[in-house]
Amino acid sequence: MRGRVWGLGVGGWFVVAVATCALWAQAPGGSRQQSASASLAIPSVKDLKFPPLKPVEIPAVETVTLPNGMKVFLLEDHELPVVNGSARIRTGNLFDPPDKVGLATITGMVMRTGGTRTKTGDQLDQELENIAASVESSIDESSGSVGFSALKENTDQVLAAFHDVLTEPEFRQNKIDLAKNELRSGISRRNDDAHGIAEREFTDAVYGKDTPYGWEMEYPTVNRITRDDMAAFYKRYFFPANVMLAVWGDFNAAGMKTKLANLFADWKVTEPAVPAFPPVRQKAAPGLYLAMKTDVAQTFVVMGQLGGELRDKDYPALEVMSDILGGGFRSRLFQRVRTRMGDAYDIDAGWGANYDHPGLFRITVSTKSASTVETLKAINEEVQKMRTSEVTDDELNTAKQTALNSLVFAFDTKSKTLGRVLNYEYFGYPKDFIQQYQKALARVTKADVLRVAKERLNPAAFTVVTVGNPMQFGQPLESLGPVKALDLTIPEAK
Amino acid sequence: MGKSRLAAVFLLASVLLPAQILKEFEKKVTEFSLPNGLHFIVAERHEAPVVSFHTYVNAGSADDPSGATGIAHMFEHMAFKGTEAIGTTNWPEERKSLDAIEAAYDRLDAEQNKGPKADAAKVKVLNGQLQEAIDKAETYVVPNDYPRLIEENGGVGMNASTDYDATQYFYSLPSNRIELWFLLESQRFLHPVFREFYKERDVVQEENRMRVESSPQGLLLQDFTATAFEAHPYRNPPGGWPSDTANLRVRDAQAFYAKYYAPGNIVMAIVGDVNPMEARRLAERYFGPLPKRPLPPLLHTEEPPQHGPKTAVVDSPSQPLLVVGYKRPNELDKDDPVFDLISEILAGGRTGVVYKSLVEDKQVALELETADTFPDGKYPNLFLFFIAPALGHTVDENLKALEEALGTFEAQKVDAQTLARVKTKERAEVIRRLDNNPGLAGLLTANYAAYGDWRKLFTSLDDLDKVTADDVQRVARKYFATSSRTVAYTVAPSTPGGRARGGVAGERQ
Repeated sequence: MRGRVWGLGVGGWFVVAVATCALWAQAPGGSRQQSASASLAIPSVKDLKFPPLKPVEIPAVETVTLPNGMKVFLLEDHELPVVNGSARIRTGNLFDPPDKVGLATITGMVMRTGGTRTKTGDQLDQELENIAASVESSIDESSGSVGFSALKENTDQVLAAFHDVLTEPEFRQNKIDLAKNELRSGISRRNDDAHGIAEREFTDAVYGKDTPYGWEMEYPTVNRITRDDMAAFYKRYFFPANVMLAVWGDFNAAGMKTKLANLFADWKVTEPAVPAFPPVRQKAAPGLYLAMKTDVAQTFVVMGQLGGELRDKDYPALEVMSDILGGGFRSRLFQRVRTRMGDAYDIDAGWGANYDHPGLFRITVSTKSASTVETLKAINEEVQKMRTSEVTDDELNTAKQTALNSLVFAFDTKSKTLGRVLNYEYFGYPKDFIQQYQKALARVTKADVLRVAKERLNPAAFTVVTVGNPMQFGQPLESLGPVKALDLTIPEAK
Repeated sequence: MGKSRLAAVFLLASVLLPAQILKEFEKKVTEFSLPNGLHFIVAERHEAPVVSFHTYVNAGSADDPSGATGIAHMFEHMAFKGTEAIGTTNWPEERKSLDAIEAAYDRLDAEQNKGPKADAAKVKVLNGQLQEAIDKAETYVVPNDYPRLIEENGGVGMNASTDYDATQYFYSLPSNRIELWFLLESQRFLHPVFREFYKERDVVQEENRMRVESSPQGLLLQDFTATAFEAHPYRNPPGGWPSDTANLRVRDAQAFYAKYYAPGNIVMAIVGDVNPMEARRLAERYFGPLPKRPLPPLLHTEEPPQHGPKTAVVDSPSQPLLVVGYKRPNELDKDDPVFDLISEILAGGRTGVVYKSLVEDKQVALELETADTFPDGKYPNLFLFFIAPALGHTVDENLKALEEALGTFEAQKVDAQTLARVKTKERAEVIRRLDNNPGLAGLLTANYAAYGDWRKLFTSLDDLDKVTADDVQRVARKYFATSSRTVAYTVAPSTPGGRARGGVAGERQ
């Protein structure tokens, strides 16, 4: 069969490494002028006239709070005979105890694999796959998730399994052992991928290795985790008032509301409100780091600093700034390092913004070992330029058009709309945040771009992580400043 | 196993007959060919004012000529360099400067072709002249103007890929800008320009360093594939061999284009908020001028029968990886659907029997995946197992566990419930893919190119339905044979010769 998707990441060779994702957009278009003579000459691009874009219909999301405090968001979508749901729980590995890093992750894994009070994980596997349905759970940095998906006629069965996984996971020991083995195997493999090393060491250095944003799972922290720890972690965060449930697909909203109210009627546990996530350390972590890896032909670099939050008033200008610097084919870094120098396939920059804590501004590149230093120099020059002179009208216009014209893709599926509503609610953002963003983006000026580059980018204090083989660099990395060696040794289990 | 569950499975099978799904979907599809042979599939989905485009060229790296491997991929990169109207400040002058590059390169080649008698000093001078010519041509370039136009008009998901069988170009636009795609897509294939060719050649070499030379998995799969295939071009990596790629010339790209980018060898899909009548009008206007050309010749090289097991060992300081492949026929073979189901039975979801045995029960593997078709499907290929051993467990243990699990699988017939389950899952998978414009566009073109009809996306489910437990056992026994097996694994270079290297007993190194 054609079109099977599989996960090894082999096969296709692409023209760009990461599909550049323009933000969002809406375009005023001229009215179409039919050339009456219907000349067959091919027009030039600038002569094309586009009709106005049809209005985007943003579906209304129905919201209801069940008697037990669980918030439910419903959106009907009758295109396919499928029903999907996702519960979001306010928790995260930011709440891991420092000596048991990995607790949230493994709790998220075993909630599903360890089965429920009445069924083992293996029984769930069989029952769900028999009807081509799924229930999956996970906990990431700042939220937990239990999701489901099924064909319409299996709605009741999948809801029952979903309910049990969410409300009465059993954490059977054999699946805890399996999950711990998997996590340990994962740790043992974490230095096998050069790009992954650069990403991890950069993140850890900028946030601080001794903070929940920068610490890593280790053999000892995983080994210490017990079933009791997991049960306690689950109990603390999984209670109805701490759950937002989104359901979308082929159902009748009123009927689904009743179904869910009945299904969760007897889930009444309460816990104190979950505290705020820990704050991010607001401190630069300047340094040029080298992690030695000799079995690579390129040097993998991740460099940058703390970014910001989506609610920053300067977020739109920062997006435009980083887009002009390193977002997509037309960006300065792509043009210079890839197109002109031929020194990289993969290069980009992005202003990292999160909903509730500063993300990471990062520039990513990989280049053959021998061009490491010249590439870093070129990148530094481009960053400096952003801070010393205004961008051109053309650059500003392109960046804004790119973002505004693609905005429609933020609304092209119902699940995106629902996801956005949920995110805004979860993180306390205004419901029309995206529209506000769109307006603010349209107002960004060249002066704004220069100002935010000056105010927010601090290249003197960049964290620069390089992973590669210094014997092949030609020009020593030290020519750029003092180099700190990174020790990648994985601490042994005690 | 309760009776009720079985009943539910069979009920589902009757509710969602592939024929019914197809009948509904067919209402949305319009299909036409231009006189030059270019084929279009238009599928309407008016849920949102967006539209996705997918160009599928039925030629890929397997069609790379010997000595110029990597040229299909190189051409794909060049297709983003613009046209005679886009990406240049002065096309007539730029064209002269591009010709001057080729002339300078020819002079350099002429000297280098003398081999050991080449004059080093002269080569140096000629190289300098070539660089000067390249620099001069760059002065006419508006870099990346072509992709900029797509991005600026709100294009998303813009990319292209080169596989063994095919080269694909794709992106999505707001649906009021459909004409922009017709203009840009037609011009890049009507008048390909080869500007910045030699800088882009550097870029694709960086791509190879990233994907293959710096990746244990990339190296392993490259060596594995080159070991499994001795004659068939599937042995060559899709990015080409580095020394070939480093010497590609514009004329190689021109020749590849002339031979393989015949309109009849290309299919395009447009999926989303599109009026099929308008699409047809625009297709005729913009793509009509592509001249009709003969279809490329079929590839005649056949992989000879394998005469015994083969092994490739890759030195790598990383944690071990293991790949096992068995020879299988191509995707047009009547047993193709059986391989599809076998893959799902062995490693699908959390219930796959080999997955369960190695990852959950014996816990010798961290990860186990199968691919029913590797590296691609147009020609006889491999059924693949990819295994990442768990911490503290070896390649040997995993290979042994895999052999045991396959032995058990072949010894008994698959039970009715498992067979029904995997068929149901395949059916649901097809349904779930139908609300995604870019995904659908890709599937429609791929099925048309591979089987001659996009409906195969749905009718393949009928083929799957016909597969019996006997078929599954027959195919597994026939093809999972050690004599047609290729094994590749990584091993730490410091490991002394004995255990790890000799680990796969009785196989040729």
